[in-house]
Amino acid sequence: MPERLRVVCYVNQFFGQIGGEEKAGVEPLSRDGAVGAARAVQQALGDAGTVVATVICGDNYAAEQSDRALAAMVALVAAAKPDLVVAGPAFLAGRYGVACGALCAAVQAQLTVPAVTGMHAENPGVDLYRRSVYIVQTGAEATRMLPEAQRLVALGLKLARGEKIGAPAAEGYFARGVTRNVVTETTAAERATAMLLDKLAGRPFASEVPRPSFASVPAPRLVKTLEGATIALVTDGGLVPKGNPDGIEALNATRYGAYSIEGKDALDAAQYENPHRGYDTTWVKQDPHRLVPVDVARELEQRGAIGKLHETVYSTVGVATTLAQSARMGAEIAEKLRAAGVDAVILTST
Amino acid sequence: MGGPRAPGPAGLAHGMRLELRWFEVRELTVAPATALAGAPARLTGGRLEVDLEALRAQLSTDPRLAGVRLDAVHPGERVRIGRVFDVIAPRAKLDGGVDFPGVLGPIAKAGHGRTAAIAGVAVVATDQQSDQVAGALAVIDMAGPNAELSRFGRTHNLVISAWPAAGTARSEYLAAVRLAALKAGVVLAQAARDAEPARTEVFELPPSPRVPAELAHLPRVAYVFQIHSHQRPTGVDEGILYGDPIRRMLPTIVHPNEVLDGGVVRGFMGRNATTWAIQHHPIIRSLYARHGRTLWFAGVVVTVAHATEPERVRSAFLTAGLVAHTLGADGAILTKIGGGAPHVDMAQAAAHCEALGVKTTVIVEDMSTDGSAEGMILFDFPGVDAMVNVGGGQELLAFPAMERVIGADDLAPKLSGEMRATYGTLCGAIEQIGATTMMAEVR
Repeated sequence: MPERLRVVCYVNQFFGQIGGEEKAGVEPLSRDGAVGAARAVQQALGDAGTVVATVICGDNYAAEQSDRALAAMVALVAAAKPDLVVAGPAFLAGRYGVACGALCAAVQAQLTVPAVTGMHAENPGVDLYRRSVYIVQTGAEATRMLPEAQRLVALGLKLARGEKIGAPAAEGYFARGVTRNVVTETTAAERATAMLLDKLAGRPFASEVPRPSFASVPAPRLVKTLEGATIALVTDGGLVPKGNPDGIEALNATRYGAYSIEGKDALDAAQYENPHRGYDTTWVKQDPHRLVPVDVARELEQRGAIGKLHETVYSTVGVATTLAQSARMGAEIAEKLRAAGVDAVILTST
Repeated sequence: MGGPRAPGPAGLAHGMRLELRWFEVRELTVAPATALAGAPARLTGGRLEVDLEALRAQLSTDPRLAGVRLDAVHPGERVRIGRVFDVIAPRAKLDGGVDFPGVLGPIAKAGHGRTAAIAGVAVVATDQQSDQVAGALAVIDMAGPNAELSRFGRTHNLVISAWPAAGTARSEYLAAVRLAALKAGVVLAQAARDAEPARTEVFELPPSPRVPAELAHLPRVAYVFQIHSHQRPTGVDEGILYGDPIRRMLPTIVHPNEVLDGGVVRGFMGRNATTWAIQHHPIIRSLYARHGRTLWFAGVVVTVAHATEPERVRSAFLTAGLVAHTLGADGAILTKIGGGAPHVDMAQAAAHCEALGVKTTVIVEDMSTDGSAEGMILFDFPGVDAMVNVGGGQELLAFPAMERVIGADDLAPKLSGEMRATYGTLCGAIEQIGATTMMAEVR
């Protein structure tokens, strides 16, 4: 017979039977055994495990003193030496859901103890923590506590026992947004033909790739005339000085460079190179202005068509770069440009 | 059987008919010349005997090569084949037909007549030059868990290692290696010339508009086959379509049999694509299998992924025009080759098809480099919502230690040990044209 797992539950002041909104400021505390909603977790566990402690924290305290609350709760969880942490379920309660996600993420990272929580699709905790935490999809309200707890426990037991976790739809958790290679029954070609026939017949089909939801960035309006504006040149086409001093990667870049063009009316091809592995760089190596038009920009500056050409060119390699790295580098470059008084950017891509 | 007949215009007047005569090989053995009565290879039952020395001498005549080595390796041997450049299926035209026209043989039309095809054996061309530019390292494991993940871990492989002669440029060297592999494949399949095949497959597609009235209700489906990406420009010897390096190719309609029968070979950029997969083209076979039953196979458009925006847009709308207006397709499947730019190029062509009312399915590689679902694709076009994926080449995979490394002699010490590399490193685990069963599942 397998050993009974030690389980710690986390609930808020309401589900921990301390009180309603008036008790939302309660600091983290731990009670022995299953208290309040944690009793449903115990019931779902049956002989598989024992809720050894219930950690309780007020929603306001968790939201307003989040760092302190989290540190205190992790310490309380650690003291109970659990094999598994079950947080919530938080249903549609926002502060509670965020706290459940944060605690699960912290417990996994700091204590290397598996954790599971549950909440409604619109709980803000889902978007914040679905990437790092298994969040079981629940209803909006706590009308069916036991069946919801059973679903959390079913997934939690698999995590605690190191069993293989199935696809999100099969296990009932929110897709964490990570991908794993799996071997399927049929070739991609067969699946593509079948999917097309479904699409042609108007039958439902399940695309194997989620449509991306890229955040749209509205283009700001240039508030000056070009004659008074400072213009910067930025590129993700990979132009770097000879020797690639910043070691910008040939693909999947995490670095960018800032290169001075002070005193230069044009770029000397002999002084530049290009590590970019995503396009044919022959023509750019031959004449860097095809990517970074310093020559024409200087002419415009001298003619007074633009106020000033910014003396620093920013460059990175844009191929197979992750969205996270792209967003970070973009934000950093934008911040530096703004601090330098740049009004507008010519961004050349490839 | 009658005497040899050249597949001339008279034969073609009745339409394209390709007959693949399949021979199952279960054993590949090295035999001395004396045993084979002068022939470089002999097929007896399921056993293919090869005189490696005679074949090596034949392949060594290319002045671009300074040396050629041949090794026969078998499933179950603790061998890792290193720096795989391409994999070729042994095929030989019968009745005077031309093998790989424009690349190996003279220019002629492919896709008609009889072709001997050997199953269970592959010719693996390795790259003995390190390539800083492409940086690609593909390996095949003949034993261990990764042998199960690639088809080429389960075939008997004739491995070609060749070294460039002094003064041979990179592209010339690769052209010579590929030519040697095609030649070797033909020699192996020619051993089956006079034998009775285990089974015969016939590929016959009438001219596209001629649909019998009783089948006119079937949806017409086209396949858009991107055969190269100009992210890396082709060399002069890098024949892809009938020997043409397709530098300026506009979208073109070909008969599917031309693709199956040596009219298209892969270029030198080897990311998750082999000539072997093209010779067994899984989408063409899938559409043929359903042709006249649940769909009408309307035809194949071959395209190139371009490096500049005007070229890309031009290619996209010309492709959509051929699919919608010339082939009259209701639906189309699109695939890509190469990396990110061709991935977007394909999607753009699909979007143009959708805009003309042609429903599409695209096959993508999971492009994420950090395992995040949000990085899987690099486009979002209206209507391009049916996507199949062939897995993520960047996900890490464990490679156990092997006893022996063949190919990539310079890397042998490193490659023989235990290593962690990507799925893309395992040649044959992911084929961009859909020949494999790997899939990136969103978790």
